Amino acid sequence: MQILIIILQIAVLLAIVLLHVAYVTYFERKIIGHMQVRMGPMLVGWHGLLQPIADGIKSFFKEDIIPEQADKPLFMAAPVICLVTMLASLAVLPFAKGWALADINIGLLFIFAMSSLASYGVILAGWASNSKYTFLGGLRSMAQVISYEIPMGMSLIGVMMLAGSLNLTEIVEAQGTSLFSIYLFPQIIGFFVFFVAMLAETNRVPFDLPEAETELVSGYITEYSGMRYAMFFMAEYIGMMVMASIGTVCFLGGWNGPFAIPFFPPFWFILKVYGFLFLFIWIRATLPRYRYDQLMALGWKLLIPLSLLNVVLTGLFKILAN
Amino acid sequence: MKVQYKPKRNLLETIFQVEILQGMALTLRKLFSPPITRQYPLEKPPMYPGFRGQHALVRDAVTNDSKCIGCMRCATVCPSRCIHIQYHDDENGKRYVDEYSIEALRCVFCAYCVEVCPVGAITMTEVFEYSDYDRDAIYFNKGALLENWDKFIEGTGYDESYVNPFWRPRGVNASTLPAAQRKSVPADWTIEGQFVGTKVRQEQETEDMAPMEESNV
Repeated sequence: MQILIIILQIAVLLAIVLLHVAYVTYFERKIIGHMQVRMGPMLVGWHGLLQPIADGIKSFFKEDIIPEQADKPLFMAAPVICLVTMLASLAVLPFAKGWALADINIGLLFIFAMSSLASYGVILAGWASNSKYTFLGGLRSMAQVISYEIPMGMSLIGVMMLAGSLNLTEIVEAQGTSLFSIYLFPQIIGFFVFFVAMLAETNRVPFDLPEAETELVSGYITEYSGMRYAMFFMAEYIGMMVMASIGTVCFLGGWNGPFAIPFFPPFWFILKVYGFLFLFIWIRATLPRYRYDQLMALGWKLLIPLSLLNVVLTGLFKILAN
Repeated sequence: MKVQYKPKRNLLETIFQVEILQGMALTLRKLFSPPITRQYPLEKPPMYPGFRGQHALVRDAVTNDSKCIGCMRCATVCPSRCIHIQYHDDENGKRYVDEYSIEALRCVFCAYCVEVCPVGAITMTEVFEYSDYDRDAIYFNKGALLENWDKFIEGTGYDESYVNPFWRPRGVNASTLPAAQRKSVPADWTIEGQFVGTKVRQEQETEDMAPMEESNV
């Protein structure tokens, strides 16, 4: 009985998240379109509202091409690894008090592990396709993950120190319920580092070097088509949402808002996640891609020292406050 | 001279990445500005006078036929040689145009034919959506060209005054055109003195392959 309930919850969460993935792509196209003074999708449905569904159907029925020289098992496994790791990290997110599928004590660590594993899928995809563009994309992804995993983990150490826990629910509760007791203000350096590392971790503009369309055709997904291609896209957008949720939980006070919404406790959480997603899209519409050496310089010379500084400052303030 | 590519920033501007924030502000402002694009298949672009679209032969209301008199000036001036005219003269010297065809796929849409036509017989309409899967559908013969005119008149409500309103009197003298447009047509582009679109291989039609190869050597 317990298992059935959990399976039902998983199914509901999965359905909601996949629907969100579909419509995040729609809003991305719409928002970028309007920022570029054009309209975005307009034809399928009212103002193109059915566009993501049409895209989904199209990619589902498209021919799945596997290159002759590709390493078939790895080629087929890579998108699955990407998608499954991203979906797995959804399990520990607390959408509201008690609204987490698995409220484990190492939630933050689990999410780090999963997002690193997702890049493993990207690297495998690049390598298994046996094409120079995908290989370069995979290499870049590897370098990027190694460079940005460190500042990302370090930036959240400050949060862990303040909250005294890795459990995401406890982190939210440690921030209190009032609007201005969220960790954004004491952890502003940490938030900045986390935000930049988050963009890099999800392969978003301006750090989309692994799939850099202008240089690498489409990076690690060059050789993919049909449903496998769509799986990489779903993984990317779920990754965006997971990272936005982590940002919400660790810095913006999770489901706590200025006032409680009856019957729908995750309201503020979802609103904050939408805010993050808008920021992602807004940045994509504005910024050009970083150069590879700039990316490395930013990661190693700026973000890691900043995050270390943040850890030291947080520790000092904690001692002084006591 | 030293070119300064990067404007100098003070420390505060560096920390807060002012340029990035300026860019973000710009894109956010543009998010709320009305889009400048046109929803093309639903919303047609405005047409300006002198638009050079699909070719048409003006249908004469009296004879219910084209106004073409077979003077061959359009075929002479055509830079891409895509106008083919077949005519015959009767014993009184009256000229009848049997066939008038335009290979629209080879046309460069210069509208010189419209400029030089002395009677305003040929024109270019405002129709531009006539792509087809079939090449033959874009090879307009006389009937198709007259039909193009009928459809255009019916669709837009123009009358004959649409034809060539820019050059009056009609029929620019070909000798006033630049020299490149007055070049004489080489003989291998003509059959019986009438221009055709492709080089004529008269030898090939009359002789068999063996002497052809010899003559090439």
